[in-house]
Amino acid sequence: MKKKDLIYYIIFLLVFAVILPLGHVAGLVSTNTISLWGRYFCFAIAALGIDLIWGYTGILSMCQAFFFCLGSYGIAMHMLLKTTAANGATVPDFMVWNKIETLPLAWIPFQSSGLTLVLCLVVPALFAFLIGYVLFRSRIKGVYMAIITQALALAMWLLFLRNETKLGGTNGLTDFKTLLGFRLADTGTKMALYGLSLAVLCGAYFLCNRMVHSKFGKVLLAIRDSESRISYAAYNVNDYKLAVFVVAALLAAVAGMLYVPQTGIITPGRMDVKASVEMVMWVALGGRGNLKGAVIGALLVNYLYSICTSLFPDSWLYILGFFFVITVLFFDKGLVGVVDMAWQKWTAYKLRRAAIS
Amino acid sequence: MLLSVKDLAVSFGGVHALALSQFSLRDKELRVIIGPNGAGKSTFLDILCGKTKADKGQVFFNDTLITGKTEVQIARLGIGRKFQKPSVFPGLSVYDNLLLAARMKKDIFSSLFFKATRELNDRLHQVAEKVGLVPQLQKLAGSLSHGQQQWLEIAIVVLQDPKLMLVDEPAAGLSTEETEKTGALLLELSNDHSIIVIEHDMQFVQQIAKERVTVLVSGRLLMEDTFSVVRNDQRVIDCYLGRTNPQLEII
Amino acid sequence: MKTVRITGLFIFCLLFQRPLLRAQTDSTGIYLRYILDGSDSLCGVGISRLVALRPTEAFPLLRAINDMRLYRLNGQPVTPQSDEPTAIDSGKVLLLSLLPPYQLVNDDHGHPATTGSSGLTEVKISRGNRLLLTPVLPLLNLFSTTPQKRILAYSQLQQNQQIDQLPYLQAALAQETDAEALRTGKDIYYSLQLQHAQHAATARAYIDSIVMNWSDNAATMLRTYAHNGTLGKDLNAYTAQQAVALETRYDRLQKIQNFFSGLSLGSILILIALGLSIVYGLAGIINMAHGEFLMIGAYTTYVVQCIFGNIFHSHSDWAFFISLPVSFVVAGLLGLLLERLVIRHLYSKPLESLLATWGVSLILIQAARSIFGDLTAVKTPTVLSGGWQILPHLVLPYNRIFIITLTTGVVALTYGMLYRTRLGMQIRAVTQNRQMSACLGIETRRVAAVTFFIGSGLAGIAGCAMTLIGNVVPDMGQTYIVDSFLVVVTGGVGKLAGTIVAGLGIGFLTKLFESFFQAVYGKVFILLFIMLFMQYKPKGLFPDKGRLAED
Repeated sequence: MKKKDLIYYIIFLLVFAVILPLGHVAGLVSTNTISLWGRYFCFAIAALGIDLIWGYTGILSMCQAFFFCLGSYGIAMHMLLKTTAANGATVPDFMVWNKIETLPLAWIPFQSSGLTLVLCLVVPALFAFLIGYVLFRSRIKGVYMAIITQALALAMWLLFLRNETKLGGTNGLTDFKTLLGFRLADTGTKMALYGLSLAVLCGAYFLCNRMVHSKFGKVLLAIRDSESRISYAAYNVNDYKLAVFVVAALLAAVAGMLYVPQTGIITPGRMDVKASVEMVMWVALGGRGNLKGAVIGALLVNYLYSICTSLFPDSWLYILGFFFVITVLFFDKGLVGVVDMAWQKWTAYKLRRAAIS
Repeated sequence: MLLSVKDLAVSFGGVHALALSQFSLRDKELRVIIGPNGAGKSTFLDILCGKTKADKGQVFFNDTLITGKTEVQIARLGIGRKFQKPSVFPGLSVYDNLLLAARMKKDIFSSLFFKATRELNDRLHQVAEKVGLVPQLQKLAGSLSHGQQQWLEIAIVVLQDPKLMLVDEPAAGLSTEETEKTGALLLELSNDHSIIVIEHDMQFVQQIAKERVTVLVSGRLLMEDTFSVVRNDQRVIDCYLGRTNPQLEII
Repeated sequence: MKTVRITGLFIFCLLFQRPLLRAQTDSTGIYLRYILDGSDSLCGVGISRLVALRPTEAFPLLRAINDMRLYRLNGQPVTPQSDEPTAIDSGKVLLLSLLPPYQLVNDDHGHPATTGSSGLTEVKISRGNRLLLTPVLPLLNLFSTTPQKRILAYSQLQQNQQIDQLPYLQAALAQETDAEALRTGKDIYYSLQLQHAQHAATARAYIDSIVMNWSDNAATMLRTYAHNGTLGKDLNAYTAQQAVALETRYDRLQKIQNFFSGLSLGSILILIALGLSIVYGLAGIINMAHGEFLMIGAYTTYVVQCIFGNIFHSHSDWAFFISLPVSFVVAGLLGLLLERLVIRHLYSKPLESLLATWGVSLILIQAARSIFGDLTAVKTPTVLSGGWQILPHLVLPYNRIFIITLTTGVVALTYGMLYRTRLGMQIRAVTQNRQMSACLGIETRRVAAVTFFIGSGLAGIAGCAMTLIGNVVPDMGQTYIVDSFLVVVTGGVGKLAGTIVAGLGIGFLTKLFESFFQAVYGKVFILLFIMLFMQYKPKGLFPDKGRLAED
């Protein structure tokens, strides 16, 4: 097991920490491609959170995209305010069009970069805590949990679409120029963000890995397998669920924070009902209950997406839908499960060959 | 008295599932509860462990009122429950199943930074040996046989060091041999714990009922006596075992 | 006092019927001949004379000139009934006379004349002559053939506030046929009169007329008058009191209207949630593609209508009513197909089925988009367009009434099916205990398949009904699916009564919150409400009780 993990890690780091950056330096890989993969890393970070809550704990949360967007909007607000200040205006352009003259109260803290970082983490965590507290307390689980979180995502999406929320409505927030003084258009900034995303992904993976291999992780699995049994063994299930829900939300928020500077736009479209289900599907396709699976799923699906939409734009939904169905029906453990099975078959075959000869 | 129950009642949709005026249990006693289907036996255990909320009445455990407390609080007070259907964690190894059950601090942070001590390992091994699962320690619990899962669940309950163990039909679906082994295990455990066992298998009841047996019928207490008295009581034969119960005739 | 008022009203009514002066009519006829037959300059003279004299009966004619829609048939001025240029070219539009105004014209054979009739010639009027109409342009629209334009023209009169335009308004009102336009027109007429009333009694009569007529801005108008009126304190107080009374009445009607909207929204939710709830209860399947069966039902309706239109060349209402059962069958069969291909592997695995069916829904949406494009609409059958006007401000749209009736019928049928038939008994048995039912010789797979057919079919019917109130778009199912899941969750899974109560409840609450807050916030509040409700009843409105239910 350990040896195989190591192979995965080496391949991953070789491709993304060595080959891609070197390729860029050599002029073989465009800045765009680098930036694209940087964004995929963000998705992979969010996928880790989903794997924790769904793959390990068995709670299907369908509002992870909302947490993702909370992080995104926080950073986006900060960057927009900086850009506005640089232009000498008091409020961002979209507010001028909506006839808002003074900066809304909720925007004021985002003028400071330190406070922004704190709020981008605290706000999603607080949301997750409140939602989780209410839902877990009334023992809502399984399908009910999925449906209610989905309805929540829907409601929040509708809320963000409104101009009254003062978050740019349907158009979202865009036109950022700098982050912490670095120009976003610079190749150097893009490379740095790519590196940062990769580093955060590796760090998050490491922490999640530690978490799921500790006794904490075993309790999570136990909650997934038999919630009543583990509570009769005197574990306070709600605390654990709440903790992992908050952690998942935080991972999504961090992912969102890294995502925005790399795309340069955030709209409510990122948090609609579809977005959350798609995030869950990354994990399902990659292999749930397996952190490697979550990362691989997120990277692969998004890579496929960018290929398919440019090659045959109309068929992407067919392909995605088909993968959804096939994975759920036949590949319970996702891609990683398939690879594992093939590996086992192959070693068994080798052993038999060795035994014969 | 370790456990005493007063005027306990619960009903589901107008049907009285349980109306128990009085019930008590000594420390280190092994009590068997029998009764026909729907007599309220499992419901009684459900109330004791906090799964079902009683409509009225009080349950005192070690002189503490436990009605109204949550499962976790009750479990911490020292009541362990083994379910009718074996409920173990199929996705975890037998060792992990036991580890999770073992008595220790169970909050999030202790779990995150938990390191297994030698003492704990010894204890896990000891219990595993008692239920005969040492060779299977590294196997996934889901791959065990039905009987092994029953024992694993008993081991899980034992590891919580409960003062009182609630055991629901431990012999259901076991072979004769496994049943006998389970009975011996329960008898051995009764040296250290108080135990309430629900059972249908009369041979098994005969094996373990060294003390008193309680008979429930339609949620009410019919009688409480030694097994030999109970099985010859005409009321029990009439309303529970039926006039021509082959099992009883064998005995 | 009362008699005075009524007399005032009576006199006033007579004003409308005032016969027009004969001499004027004669001169109008002369100028008409100038326009139809004369040279360009003579035509100019005719128009300018008519503009100066402003005989009300000539306004339709002047309007036709201005709109360049003046034709001649057998020497008489006529104009097409419809405004649409394409319709005119088709030759099937009926012709209306202009003098006397707006009456059907017969051709030589005694049939109603159309734009296709022989002998019809267009009368061309030069631009210069048309410009002569400028002074009367605002008045011309009073005699338009479309009610909307007339309403607009009436409102414009009010802004001008000129008493000398009253006769034209009167004349226009005398031949007004549309109820709404009549109400607007009368309202403006009364208010103009009120503004220029010299005596408190007259003013009071007009105020009463305004109250009786009860147009949209009656209350505001009265309030303004109560504030600015110069005919004494008593009258102002009286006006204010009437305004308040009107507003209270209006509020009450709004409440009824809201209640009705809630009922209709609830009906739609029930229609969708019914199938979901039965299927989930029976098979433990969360069907995310359920909304897409709604979409399939809607497109089936569209296709049926196209078939009727293109193959049978019929635009009758039957197309819609036939598509109701057709939608049920088509959606049901596709549901059966889905059950065979995907769902049967996922029984009692709600979360897995949720994800797999989401994939299916993506495929179905994209398929619909590829086949039908992005936006199509189904024509509402004429029987169901319009509404039932109970009071001036209380209109219950027929399509909503139809949806409510349909839902009631469908619920009754489903109820009968579940509780009165053998199949229903089997469905209930499998819902309660799958293994036990199988042991008793019920073919659970077959029952599940049939249930899935019925559930999807119900969604299809819902889709068919939805075409009455909205466009048909590929992702129309997504709009309602989350709401209907909330209905299922709130009502308790597999509970018919729960679904109905929850559906209506959520429908009402949505409309209630929407009347207090904006629509979006209403949704947020609904969700908060449901979350609070789940704290109190986590298993829905009608939970199962007992030991078995708790796992």
